Amino acid sequence: MSTTNLSATGAAQSAPVRTYRRRSKRLKKWFPYLLVAPAVIYLMMITLYPGIYAIVQSFYAVKFGPWQPIGFGNYERLWGDYQFWGALWNTFVMGSIALTLQCVIALALAFYAYRDPWVKGWRIIFLVPMLFMPSAVAFIYKLFFLDARVFADLLIRIGLIDGNIAFQSSIWMSRSILILADVWQWTPFLFIIFVAALQGQDEEVEEAARLDGASWWSIFWNISLPMMKPVIAVALILRGIDITTMFTNVFIITKGGPAFGTETISYFIYRTGFKFFDFGYASSASVIMLILTIIIAQLVVKRAFVSAKE
Amino acid sequence: MASQRRKSRSESLTLRYAILGGWALFCLMPVLWFLSIGFRPRTEIITAQPIYWPTFSLDAFWMIFEDWPMWKYLRNSVLAIIGSVLIDLVLAIPAAYSLSRYTYRGRDDIGFYILSTRMMAPAIVAIPIFFLFRNAGLLDSVWALMLIYAAINLSFVTWIIRSYMMDIPKELEDAAKTDGAGDLRILWEIIIPAILPGIITASVIAMIFAINEFLFTLLIASTPNAYTMSVALANFTGGSDGLIYNAIALVAFLAFVPVFIVVVAIQKHLSRGLTMGAVKG
Repeated sequence: MSTTNLSATGAAQSAPVRTYRRRSKRLKKWFPYLLVAPAVIYLMMITLYPGIYAIVQSFYAVKFGPWQPIGFGNYERLWGDYQFWGALWNTFVMGSIALTLQCVIALALAFYAYRDPWVKGWRIIFLVPMLFMPSAVAFIYKLFFLDARVFADLLIRIGLIDGNIAFQSSIWMSRSILILADVWQWTPFLFIIFVAALQGQDEEVEEAARLDGASWWSIFWNISLPMMKPVIAVALILRGIDITTMFTNVFIITKGGPAFGTETISYFIYRTGFKFFDFGYASSASVIMLILTIIIAQLVVKRAFVSAKE
Repeated sequence: MASQRRKSRSESLTLRYAILGGWALFCLMPVLWFLSIGFRPRTEIITAQPIYWPTFSLDAFWMIFEDWPMWKYLRNSVLAIIGSVLIDLVLAIPAAYSLSRYTYRGRDDIGFYILSTRMMAPAIVAIPIFFLFRNAGLLDSVWALMLIYAAINLSFVTWIIRSYMMDIPKELEDAAKTDGAGDLRILWEIIIPAILPGIITASVIAMIFAINEFLFTLLIASTPNAYTMSVALANFTGGSDGLIYNAIALVAFLAFVPVFIVVVAIQKHLSRGLTMGAVKG
């Protein structure tokens, strides 16, 4: 892809005037930057500007009145705030459990579905949960487990328990609802990607292995899975990003409770900022999260996307 | 020997359909149950004993159109989504063209920067964005939603379109170039028609994310003036009566049906779109 023979204006060759040619040459050099610039500027408005704003704000106490500079005060408070550490821990625990479950289930489903004659039908059925608005999914689970207590009733009917289940007073039961809702809605995301990867693999290698007497399982384990590694990495990263920013389900189903046991970092920032109007403090939490995001992006995401491209 | 092999084959088929069928049930049962919520009277939703065979009722249907400005929510959603997708395409197509067709210093870093904006948690930027829009007097308006949805989806759309552009053989362009066509004309007359499936895929995925968006909409749309379907759902409360679940369920299905139809239509391209082009399905 050499740029030297590209002409930005079709008429450049025919222009005999030297200044014109020089100008068009400079235009040629800057042309690709000009094309990409609007998108980059637009994105900077929602990433760079807010990033700087949050960093500045994190050094002030911002509540209703004017900003009061307090140095690292917000960060010191954050360091000793067990709710902040709890939110980090909750995000990590719920996120990693949900992500692991989704990945294993999606791999298993893809393994059985990709050579099934009705793979298209399975794909459409499995897609259904993903196409509901997340707020709607949150309400399905809120109603099913908490408000209408259908789940408890079903368990009583088949005789597994003989009373109501107090979901709202148990941290792990509340977490389980959030995890289940996420697994239900988003396993298809991974499934769709994994099936596509399995269908795209070299059939001849597969055929040859099968003629040698290899079982489907060993083909999957020894040939397909290694081939899928970069795809799995990309898919898990994309899903991982969305899981760590989990907000909607927490907002609708548990409001972070009981005892802040399901409060994610996104909900922590929302609560301190928009419920207690402690904007400076919320910004300091945002900055910590921003730093973590940048580190992970540079270390993990860059590598995964580059290797998936090759 | 042969019969044994056939037996193990049929056993694995049973297992296969048990697993796939089981998951299909797990996917569909909550959906069907929620549909039944949408078509029952409010008195049969939250009861001492759950009711599994409710009486059929269209209460919720009349309620969402008579008690709430449903058309307004719908209009807000549609305006914000279509506007944001258009903004995205106008910005993303030239950017993707630049990233896929030229070599220049910093290209890969620019590409990665665009990609990395996808990783920003909405909560990180929520507070500054809130103040930005407040100072610009854009709170509570569909325009603000349009701008923010466009920003959220821009990285996705750019990378999907870029991936499709990379697939176009160079010869196609070279032929046009020897005919004296300029770069922009090549983009408009050759590249864009050739990657139309990619553009449609990117638009559909952007549309889904825009419909789903919750946190920003919650913050920016503080009154029903700018509510979209997604946030309107969370506000279907009848004051002391609590949540009005049959209305919620019906609106959920109202938003689901068009999305489902569009997604089934682009099924073939879905995996490629969802991975921003990293998987060529």
